[in-house]
Amino acid sequence: MTGPILIVGEVQNGHLSGPTLEAISVARSLGGSPSSLVGFVAGHDSRSTALEFGRFGVSHVWVARDPTLDSAPIAALALYIAAAATKAGAETILVGGTTLGRDLMGRLAIRWNAAVATGVTEVRRDGAALQVRRPIFGGRATETRRLDGAHVALALRPHAFPAPLDAPVDPVIEDLPSVPLPAAWLAPRRTGTETSAEGAGPSLGDASIVVSGGRGVRTAENFQLVEELAAALGAAVGASRAVTDAGWRPSSYQVGQTGRSVSPQLYLAVGISGAIQHLVGMLSSRVIVAINSDASAPIFRVADYGIVGDLFQIVPALTAEVRRVRAL
Amino acid sequence: MEIVVCIKPVPEAETRLRVAPGGATLDAEGVKFVLAGYDESALEQALLLKEALAGSKVHAISFGPAPRTEEVLRAAVALGADLATWVESPSGSAVDPIQVARALAGAIAAIPHDLVLCGKQAGDDEAGLVPSALGELLALPDFGSVVDLRWDPVTARFKFLRSTDAGGERWEAATPCVIGLQQAWNDPRTAKLPNILKSRKAAIAKHPAGPDLPGARSEPQGFELPAPRTGARLIEYKSPQEAAQTLVRILREEAKVFP
Ligand SMILES: Cc1cc2nc3c(=O)[nH]c(=O)nc-3n(C[C@H](O)[C@H](O)[C@H](O)COP(=O)(O)OP(=O)(O)OC[C@H]3O[C@@H](n4cnc5c(N)ncnc54)[C@H](O)[C@@H]3O)c2cc1C
Repeated sequence: MTGPILIVGEVQNGHLSGPTLEAISVARSLGGSPSSLVGFVAGHDSRSTALEFGRFGVSHVWVARDPTLDSAPIAALALYIAAAATKAGAETILVGGTTLGRDLMGRLAIRWNAAVATGVTEVRRDGAALQVRRPIFGGRATETRRLDGAHVALALRPHAFPAPLDAPVDPVIEDLPSVPLPAAWLAPRRTGTETSAEGAGPSLGDASIVVSGGRGVRTAENFQLVEELAAALGAAVGASRAVTDAGWRPSSYQVGQTGRSVSPQLYLAVGISGAIQHLVGMLSSRVIVAINSDASAPIFRVADYGIVGDLFQIVPALTAEVRRVRAL
Repeated sequence: MEIVVCIKPVPEAETRLRVAPGGATLDAEGVKFVLAGYDESALEQALLLKEALAGSKVHAISFGPAPRTEEVLRAAVALGADLATWVESPSGSAVDPIQVARALAGAIAAIPHDLVLCGKQAGDDEAGLVPSALGELLALPDFGSVVDLRWDPVTARFKFLRSTDAGGERWEAATPCVIGLQQAWNDPRTAKLPNILKSRKAAIAKHPAGPDLPGARSEPQGFELPAPRTGARLIEYKSPQEAAQTLVRILREEAKVFP
């Protein structure tokens, strides 16, 4: 597999998203010369994002301008991506670590006849195949998988790869011809969007720092201590199930087996004991810090750093220190 | 409404993971298998829809080997599923998630399905490929990471929120469609003893996975457990301020996790 690599561009606030940039890094590390890096972006006003691909060494960008894509299900987007891959003669498709990435893979596996994997944290060539590594069992194990065949599509795990360095090229930008979409796929309608359900600040899914609070916080009002620390750090806010069960915060905050899985650079667990059902949602975080008054709490067994102490004293001091350092 | 729920047996959360001889997979010897977390949520959602819509049926379907697959199907029946189909995995050969989706799609195509509900991913392999692959194979629209699913009888459409990294998208979709559920029910129903006893005798339809199943395109080569954690480095301090300063310094200078 040394043929062209297609990178699916996702747009956030008018720019290629962080996960898309990580996908570009991976494409480049797979030995792609600029001529073998191909971008894909959807939307009627995508020229500026197409140009942004060029900034990172992607020499050719296919644009799907079909306005129905704005509100059509992902199935429709998958058709356009498969069409772009065919146009580009691509052997590999890379998508960032987002909900879109995962939802595309099953489609591409069938439509583009690809070997696929999701949540990928390492990729390397293995002769004619690709070998990937991915955390499984909530980060309690890692599997290595070999993907064979003429086509491979990968959805990456967020924060597992660095952002690419600038390598500007002047990309060729081409519109994809419109692809006929089955009527059944256009019947469902997107009727609105909601910004992050987790409250202010970055969302749990793509934040590089997550601060979560547990039962140790004691009341809904006290949970603000956790939120203030998160705000100082520019972090997303999460919670254990003890907190969502008590109704101190909505269930969208819940991290764990029956909540969200997160894998940030830094996970701070405040007043959380570290039950296995919580751990499986955050164990693949890069650095874990625990603040808990009970030195025997299981969270300290998985944390990298710990402070044994009263969160009502430690957390405000930490918030103040972060603010102080940030203001320097 | 005919609701098909795809369920998967996975090792229970407390399982001590061990590597199988050969080094490529989990050692399943002695492991207790249970219904995957999000699949349990999907089943609960299916039963709630059934209760709200008179005349509905819930059909649980599962792919995998004996005896664990049959066991989760019986558990689903005990919880209230009306029908159960076991898609028998071809013995001996390793399967990848796309083959699982192909086998399930073959079985689902043969039964009535207004809604195909899955958990958005299973807690063992965390692939999350089955819902979207089912959509493609059954030529239906699919939606992943769905929460807050409701049926609107006036418009005869589902209304739901698709949870995304940026927040969420509100959708409306008619039947038939495939939904990968991310909903957490913190108190899903539990089976009552008489129903558990009855489920032991319930008929489980068998559907062979099909000899024409295309081969696996991805193959596990390694299953690694992380080196046992040494435990947290505990920060020593005389005052909360000192603890905070030390932690922030470590996070910036050693762990380099924030600027
Ligand atoms: C099927 C199933 C699914 C589940 N799914 C999830 C899930 O998705 N997510 C999840 O989180 N849980 C889940 N759970 C629940 C899980 O088992 C635990 O009950 C839960 O995680 C406990 O939350 P906690 O750590 O906040 O509370 P506790 O276990 O009560 O821990 C509170 C901690 O706070 C500490 N503390 C108290 N006061 C202070 C103080 N002043 N300063 C510092 N520390 C203090 C205590 O020492 C203690 O360690 C699930 C359980 C089941 C059975």
